[in-house]
Amino acid sequence: MNSFELEIWDNEASLCTFYTVRDEGAALNETDKFFEKHHAIEEYEEPTSMLLNFLLKTIGEDHGAQEYFFNRHENEVKGLPFQGKISLHDFCYYFPRFPLRLYAVRLRENIVILFNGGIKDGATNQTSRLHPQWIAACQYAQRIDQALIQKEIYIDEQSWEIKNSDQSNTIIL
Amino acid sequence: MRSKIAKKILDTTPKDVEIFVRLYGDLVARIHEVLKAKGISQKSLAEGMNKKPSEISKWLNGEHNFTLRSIAKLEAELGEKLIQVPKQKTFDIVSSGQFTMTVHSSYKRPAFTEFKKVSVQPNTLPTKIA
Repeated sequence: MNSFELEIWDNEASLCTFYTVRDEGAALNETDKFFEKHHAIEEYEEPTSMLLNFLLKTIGEDHGAQEYFFNRHENEVKGLPFQGKISLHDFCYYFPRFPLRLYAVRLRENIVILFNGGIKDGATNQTSRLHPQWIAACQYAQRIDQALIQKEIYIDEQSWEIKNSDQSNTIIL
Repeated sequence: MRSKIAKKILDTTPKDVEIFVRLYGDLVARIHEVLKAKGISQKSLAEGMNKKPSEISKWLNGEHNFTLRSIAKLEAELGEKLIQVPKQKTFDIVSSGQFTMTVHSSYKRPAFTEFKKVSVQPNTLPTKIA
């Protein structure tokens, strides 16, 4: 895969810093692509708003990135929003038959990386239109994980930020 | 900083959608806290409600949002309040001379935290409604 920049998407929420990725030379980052595209489609306007409020209000302002909000396991990434049934007690919680998925990695209760996503119109990711976005999200996540393991980048626990080990400002992976 | 696209969508989101999403987030978080604190499993919860786990799943059908009835049943079984409807009261602070305030807070981003001393003037107090 081509190199990409890991950049802050939102640090105004009081409980969590959200990151995203931007392909080299791209006008928009992957998460903005997702929200801009789906909010413009009338059928998905409200689900897009709900997903954004779930991120920036529920996670960002009310509860932080609790693990139980990241329970839709999709290989290297998690699918948002969280799934309707939670294995602990089988109760339907929320977002039944939610039409959209946004892929993410939860690094800490206060640091989340968001990728792109799409419309979940099949039983699996492989049979849905969002398959390419899911594959790409997994590749981004693998590269970020590798960079963390190899200490190219590290998590600053004080500022809730991801930083380059060489202290340069722009994170290119 | 905040994504301009995110800001634009947030600004145009109907208030009821935001309230709905946040209420559900609060409810999910609350149920998790109670289940974790009490060490309650799906099985014991189902037994306590005289239902098989599969029946509970069927009852809520896995495809419906919470109803007031399902929340009430959960509250009864868990023995804990899950949601709270505020009871509005008017206090006569002037005659009693003192009042108690409870401040709820969670851990917030430190850089943006600011505390200010405030004073309350008697003539700004709310008055009782007859």
